[in-house]
Amino acid sequence: MTRRPAATIAINLVTWAIVLAVAMPLLWMVVTSLKPQSELFRIPPTLIPSTVTFEHYWRVLTETPFLLYFRNSMILSVTTTAVVVVIGTLGAYSLVRFTYPGRETLAGLVLFTYLLPSVVLIIPLYLLMVSLGLANTIASLVIAYTTFALPYALWLLRSFMAGIPEDLESAALVDGASRIGAFVDIILPQALPGIISTALFTFILSWNEYLYALVLVNSDSVRPLTTGVMNMLIASFNIEWSLLMAASVMMSIPLIVIFAFLQSYLTSGFGAGGVKG
Amino acid sequence: MTERDTAMKMSAGFSRRGVLGGLGLAGVAAAGLAGPLGGRAFAQEAITLRWWSPQSAPLQLAAYKAQIAAFEAAHPNVTVVFEPTSDEGYPAQFAAAFASKQLPHVVTHLPSFAAQTYYAQGLLEPMDAVIEAVGPGNYFPGANDVYKTGDGKFCGTGIGNTAADMLWIRKDLMEKAGIAEIPVTWDELRAACQKMQGGGIYGAPLPYGLNSMTSLIIIGFIHRAGGEIFTPDLEVAIDSQAAADALEFYASMRELCPAGATNYSWGESLTGFVSGATATGIYGGRVLGNVAAQNPGIADFITCATYPRKSADIPAWTFNDFPSIFIPKGVDHLAEAQALAAFLLTPPGYIQQLHAAPGHVLPVLETIAKDPAYLANPIIEKYPAEVELMSVSAASGNNLGFETAKHKPNLKANEIVASNVLAEMVQRTSLNGEDAKVVLGDTAKKLEALMKG
Amino acid sequence: MATTTARAAPAAGGLTLDRRYALLGVLLIAPTVLVFCAVIVYPLVSALYLSLFSIYTPTLQGGFVGLDNYAALLAGGTFWPALANTLIWTAGTLSLQIVFGIALALLLNENILFRSLARSLILFPYFVSTVVAVLVWRWLFNDLYGLANHLLMLGGIIDMPVDWLGRMPNAMLSVIVIGAWKYFPFVVIAVLARLQTIPEQLYEAATIDGAGPVGRFFDVTLPQLREVLAVVILLRAIWDFKEFDLIYLLTGGGPLNHTRTLPLAVYQEAFGLNRMGMASATAVLMMLVMLVFMLAYLRRAARAGAK
Repeated sequence: MTRRPAATIAINLVTWAIVLAVAMPLLWMVVTSLKPQSELFRIPPTLIPSTVTFEHYWRVLTETPFLLYFRNSMILSVTTTAVVVVIGTLGAYSLVRFTYPGRETLAGLVLFTYLLPSVVLIIPLYLLMVSLGLANTIASLVIAYTTFALPYALWLLRSFMAGIPEDLESAALVDGASRIGAFVDIILPQALPGIISTALFTFILSWNEYLYALVLVNSDSVRPLTTGVMNMLIASFNIEWSLLMAASVMMSIPLIVIFAFLQSYLTSGFGAGGVKG
Repeated sequence: MTERDTAMKMSAGFSRRGVLGGLGLAGVAAAGLAGPLGGRAFAQEAITLRWWSPQSAPLQLAAYKAQIAAFEAAHPNVTVVFEPTSDEGYPAQFAAAFASKQLPHVVTHLPSFAAQTYYAQGLLEPMDAVIEAVGPGNYFPGANDVYKTGDGKFCGTGIGNTAADMLWIRKDLMEKAGIAEIPVTWDELRAACQKMQGGGIYGAPLPYGLNSMTSLIIIGFIHRAGGEIFTPDLEVAIDSQAAADALEFYASMRELCPAGATNYSWGESLTGFVSGATATGIYGGRVLGNVAAQNPGIADFITCATYPRKSADIPAWTFNDFPSIFIPKGVDHLAEAQALAAFLLTPPGYIQQLHAAPGHVLPVLETIAKDPAYLANPIIEKYPAEVELMSVSAASGNNLGFETAKHKPNLKANEIVASNVLAEMVQRTSLNGEDAKVVLGDTAKKLEALMKG
Repeated sequence: MATTTARAAPAAGGLTLDRRYALLGVLLIAPTVLVFCAVIVYPLVSALYLSLFSIYTPTLQGGFVGLDNYAALLAGGTFWPALANTLIWTAGTLSLQIVFGIALALLLNENILFRSLARSLILFPYFVSTVVAVLVWRWLFNDLYGLANHLLMLGGIIDMPVDWLGRMPNAMLSVIVIGAWKYFPFVVIAVLARLQTIPEQLYEAATIDGAGPVGRFFDVTLPQLREVLAVVILLRAIWDFKEFDLIYLLTGGGPLNHTRTLPLAVYQEAFGLNRMGMASATAVLMMLVMLVFMLAYLRRAARAGAK
């Protein structure tokens, strides 16, 4: 679609202005993590550090179990995302293309998960994990997070798949493809942006969740970043600001990288009908 | 009914195992702890002990690691695992741990009223054996009084003391304003703050937010007006003239505090003073370390005193949350857990731990406070008078669970602070300008309801 | 939308194709159902159960009190104000999230310079952990050394620092805006993804018919977005209603309980006052409120969809 140059410039300016305003706190975090402690609370505050230092990053990496926590978070988030994408995609497909009794009620019931506040769910969930022998393992968190992410996954993917015309599949079936074959070749590519969206949501949820990680997992060997970093650097009488900012910046980097990578999938579309890219 | 029964059966099942384990080792423990550490009498299977604490900043973590290494060297079959918990999250974690009997062996740095409350519910082991092992004479006199329970045992012992509401003040600003003496009474304090306020500097960073700091601080003010929240027998006593005076004074200080004080908690209050934006501060010894790191320019001009009271004849009162050590009931390997707890208080490990938060976590043992190895720390060397004052004030300090030495332990202290009833009282009088007597009447009713449970 | 399955003659001696497909359908949804029954049903039921007792949290022991918890809540003076605050917060932050979410998704769908970078930066509030985000915002809003007041004073817009979090209506407004900042990227991702699959021809057809950009938005984009928006609005509404960390860490419910929402009340009851029974009762009431809205919403969406 062609636009007048003035409109293009205006759009660019407005968008970037909003983006920068939204990302200001990130900028503040980065700037603060590079300041020496003596500059932290200078009045008036400085946006550009007078001295740049990487000591806080170094201290977080060498004096704390940050890398261990990072590894745990990675395993946790990747596993949960894989599980949710697989179960969610299959489940959404089932809800959209198949008929069986109780289908609609099931879709509604699934949303029930979201109605209870976590504070009340947490102890029964923990007791359940203990009885399953899974307390204090990453598996318990994977199960918990899968349950939180699945309803969203089902609903979002259902709405994507519902928008895919049936003729495409019927055509494939007539051509001799099996039901599952049609699924893989027709549905998946069309629903890909929805799948990516779900994957991103699940990854972020598993990466940032705090309360369940706090209660379900206690030992450092399986502790994820959120509780690891928070417990270490935030206490009621003392907050290690510089280390916290450095750790938070490092915690955000994988998410930025993953998003940059997934972005191209999010925005590409396939299939008949042409897509705006 | 079924899920509840299942949950209870699970708990019962686990606790039987715990109790048997405890009984088995009790005999060993009695023999083993006759000497200072009693390492020789332990069973030889591989044992893992879990240690929980909400204070695990990198310097402290390093100190813990050193202590763990030394303990493991002395007890080759024992591995100690340190697991950080959080000041905000520990109630949830503990509820889950007690419910499922997945208990840590040693818990440190939780406030004394947590120890008292859990003990009253039958969830903790008495710590008498550990105190014996450390040596009761080594403590500051009366240091363990806050842990005395109804059945005559100790529910915990201290791992440190913190004098959390000392008056911090800038000598350079005092000089500039022509103030000769550090304020001792409220009138002096108000006058001093007023004189020092100006040019972008405020008088004080008192908290007025709806949070635990406000509740804890106002308790101190009420005591310094000669009042108390409860009588020694735990009857509600807040509806008094003294408390009204305290609230009115606190409200009058509002104009000498920064605009955002309405939402201040510990972090903002500390930083207010450390950054040089306020002339006085109300905090513990962290000020010393933070000033050294964040604002060394004022390091030579800070000093502390006990917080001013309404009049000089009212005794000083210092808030100490009494970071404690306790051992949950039903842990296996009780003897080893007790040995670890006692070990945490022995030098040189204990000294390294204290040096990780110099001036803030103060020794509970008088012997350590006088130990040259402890005193050989740059911060402690630079501010010996301040550290000494804080050590002494903290050792005879109090908190809502233990308002004076005569008070019975208040097991609802935790809940009273968490309910924000006292913080609300401050907000109503200081921010809304309501009449103190009316507000105190309402607060007294709410406290009665909370005490009844 | 009616599902038409290809009709075929029954395989010799076996199930009809329809039945086989139905079975396959059930099989595909089975893992989801299993996960839910195992992980959600037990805690849900246990919450309902606990709400009938007076439970002391650390020991999980207590006595049966029947509906007393509910009676105390509904008659007392803390539930209703908390509900009102929750509704105000949810309505406020949800509207901002949706409006800005759609707006940014549309903008980021255009050919902006360094578009990938812009998209990643927009997502930042959603990825950063809530605890850290709140600490940073409190720092930015600080009256002494915070950037917000500093910049506003530099710009001459104010001459004394503003108390962003300690007085009303500032506190509720700040919380609503920070909530919108934190969660609007969720809306951006979902909408942006859907925008990718809108066929170009629809826009071309509309342009030929003489529609300008606003017309194209309302006639082409919005109808196409409807399904996704229906899901997103419902979910965001539920999650915003339940939001705890953000508000608790920003204002603690203050000043004077004016930003105290139901989730804060539940947490205070469960772990502050150690009354798990009362906390469960509050949670069940919360659930009922959300359920009523959810059902009404779904019914309306179904009716709109059937048109």
